[in-house]
Amino acid sequence: MREITYLEAIRESMSQEMRTDNDVFIMGEDIGIYGGAFGLTNGMIEEFGPERVRNTPISEAAISGCAVGAAMTGMRPILEIQFSDFVMIAMDNIVNQAAKMRYMFGGKAKVPVVIRLPGGSGAGFAAQHSQSLEAWMAHVPGLKVVQPSNAYDAKGLMKAAIKDDNPVLFYEHKLLYNVKGEVPEENYEIPLGQADIKREGTDITIVATAIMVNRALEAAEELEKEGIHVEVIDPRTLVPLDTETILQSVKKTSRVLVVYEAVKRGGYGAEIASMIAESDVFDYLDAPIRRLGGVATPIPYNPELEKAAVPQVNDIVQECRKLMNK
Amino acid sequence: MAIEVVMPKLGATMEEGTIVSWLVPVGGVVEEGDPLAEIQTDKIVMEIEAETTGVLLKVVSEAGETVKVHDVIAYMGDEGESVEGLKSVPTITSEMPEVDGNQTATKEMVEAISIANGDKIRRTPAARKLAEEHHLNLREITGTGSLGRIHKADVEQYLQQHTTRITPLAKKIADDQRIDYNQINGTGSHGKIRKEDLVSTPTVNKKVTDVANKRVPFKGMRKVIADRISESAYSAPHVTLISEIDMTNCVALRQDLLPVIEKVEGLRVSFNEILLKATAFTLKQNPSINISLDDKEIIYHSTINIGMAVAVPDGLVVPVLRDVDTKGLATLTSEAKSIGKKAREGKLSPDDMQGSTFTVSNLGMYAVDGFTPIINSPNAAILGVGRIQKKAVVVNDELAIRSMMSLSLSFDHRIIDGAPAAAFLTDLKDVLENPFKLMI
Repeated sequence: MREITYLEAIRESMSQEMRTDNDVFIMGEDIGIYGGAFGLTNGMIEEFGPERVRNTPISEAAISGCAVGAAMTGMRPILEIQFSDFVMIAMDNIVNQAAKMRYMFGGKAKVPVVIRLPGGSGAGFAAQHSQSLEAWMAHVPGLKVVQPSNAYDAKGLMKAAIKDDNPVLFYEHKLLYNVKGEVPEENYEIPLGQADIKREGTDITIVATAIMVNRALEAAEELEKEGIHVEVIDPRTLVPLDTETILQSVKKTSRVLVVYEAVKRGGYGAEIASMIAESDVFDYLDAPIRRLGGVATPIPYNPELEKAAVPQVNDIVQECRKLMNK
Repeated sequence: MAIEVVMPKLGATMEEGTIVSWLVPVGGVVEEGDPLAEIQTDKIVMEIEAETTGVLLKVVSEAGETVKVHDVIAYMGDEGESVEGLKSVPTITSEMPEVDGNQTATKEMVEAISIANGDKIRRTPAARKLAEEHHLNLREITGTGSLGRIHKADVEQYLQQHTTRITPLAKKIADDQRIDYNQINGTGSHGKIRKEDLVSTPTVNKKVTDVANKRVPFKGMRKVIADRISESAYSAPHVTLISEIDMTNCVALRQDLLPVIEKVEGLRVSFNEILLKATAFTLKQNPSINISLDDKEIIYHSTINIGMAVAVPDGLVVPVLRDVDTKGLATLTSEAKSIGKKAREGKLSPDDMQGSTFTVSNLGMYAVDGFTPIINSPNAAILGVGRIQKKAVVVNDELAIRSMMSLSLSFDHRIIDGAPAAAFLTDLKDVLENPFKLMI
């Protein structure tokens, strides 16, 4: 099958939706001629024109307010926040308006907006351009949160996000943009709330998100040589969360490691761990549920320190060994 | 309906007991036979067991209180059952009786309290679940995890090592009295062995006075022999026929054959081989003796394979000589001697002990005149051989000194009647008294 990058898969998905649905349009800082900070929207202005590929002022408050309003009037905007860290400026529009509109108007208003958020560390962008704050969004009722870990999932989930009548926060990991994967050319959809078993195993379940899925898979390869069979589950969407797939896996393996890049304290992995702990699968646990997350520090600029601040492959391997040795 | 738990009478002179600790919290679920509380009498600390499965509804007497024998100390019942109206019984307000200078009692006391006040057991949910499924007490399982945490694998290992389920109290009694409880069928829930099951074992009530008494587990070869002998004795109605044989001619024959066979085989022929040969010869003439009983049919064997009972250290084995009727005395001497040696050295293979159609048990080397052997099932008969002794006997109306030997034939009366058995023994006597007939 054809291989394209994660970045191309997201562009392809948006373009395909824009070709079939005139209500879909994209907006953001420098996404036109320049193609966006990461070049994700390269060529889209040529195909769809400046009316549907809208360059905006540098004001997340203005962009988000505009997008939420457009969505309420029947459009399906996709807005790019250049770095997910800048979403704080748009917080009021997202949390106080978009998330609550449908509820407060008794279902008479819908807010079908997709907010694209390039996040994560590892590219040397330092403390203000490298955070993973998806847990903030997952905490708010009325928002959906998506975190694809590969090109195939990114394309299918983007289609589902655009088609959804609720605000969807679409977290993209900067380090994954150039990672290639097999992606069909046709337009397909991956429903929100459907986790994926990325690797089957019997000894430990790793629940990982975004780039941590790839690191978990690498760690699993290494652990396999030691006779530790790791199962890797990617929730793909944090809200809605596919608890069933995770619980079935834990029931099988009886050990869990939740791996996420965000600061461990208060990260979404804590939610997954708690969900397992209070489920009926509790009886099948044969070790404490462990979390592996980022260090509670702003992301350092120094490349070595930046690596040290978030879980790497070796950290996952070590943690799994500890779990197996009780 | 709540059930009273009373202060048990643990000894003839016991009038009151002190509760050391409750091992189960109020509202805790216990299974019949589980330890419920620890009681101190004037000498020792004992666990009392729950008499039924249920929930500890109410504790009437707290730890440290002294209670008269048969007074209510707690109530058990179903979960959620009301404890309203359950009467509280006043307890004797007295100091805890002093523990006497008996060191073991003090030690037990200390241990008991430390367990009662000790940490909760660290175990994973999976380990707890598995232990519950098998009704195990987690206190008996050693955890290999951090800080002694019990993991599922620890429970699995424990299960592999302990197939017999026994309550802690029963186990303690069994260990003290050195009872092998693996042979006892428990009457508790799920076949758990309880104290009462041990008491019904006669040895329990014996006071062990001689610590040096040797006690050997009743298992292995001894158990196999016991089972097979009992089965034969209890299922096959035995009749034993006895006949005196004049072995004078056989003694002479053996004297003549000794150098001949020694030259061929390098071995000394014994009466045992002559007997085997004569028995096989006679069995061929009496095929109705060379039979066995299956569940549904009587099998008449086409071959004559004779089992030869051999004493080995701590037991008895019966290796088999095959097609004995077709073999000469030299061959038989060599085969019988080598298989006997193999048996005594414990080197017999299962094949060596299978397929006998008749058995000879020879005690002629001892001061045994005769005996009634038990059939080696599935054979239908067995020949018991006594010693050869010179006796004064009447021959042709005159007293003569002859070498006499007693043969006894035990047979299974379900499939062999007296007359054919008697005919066989008569024929055998005839052959042994006239051993030249073996030439025919």
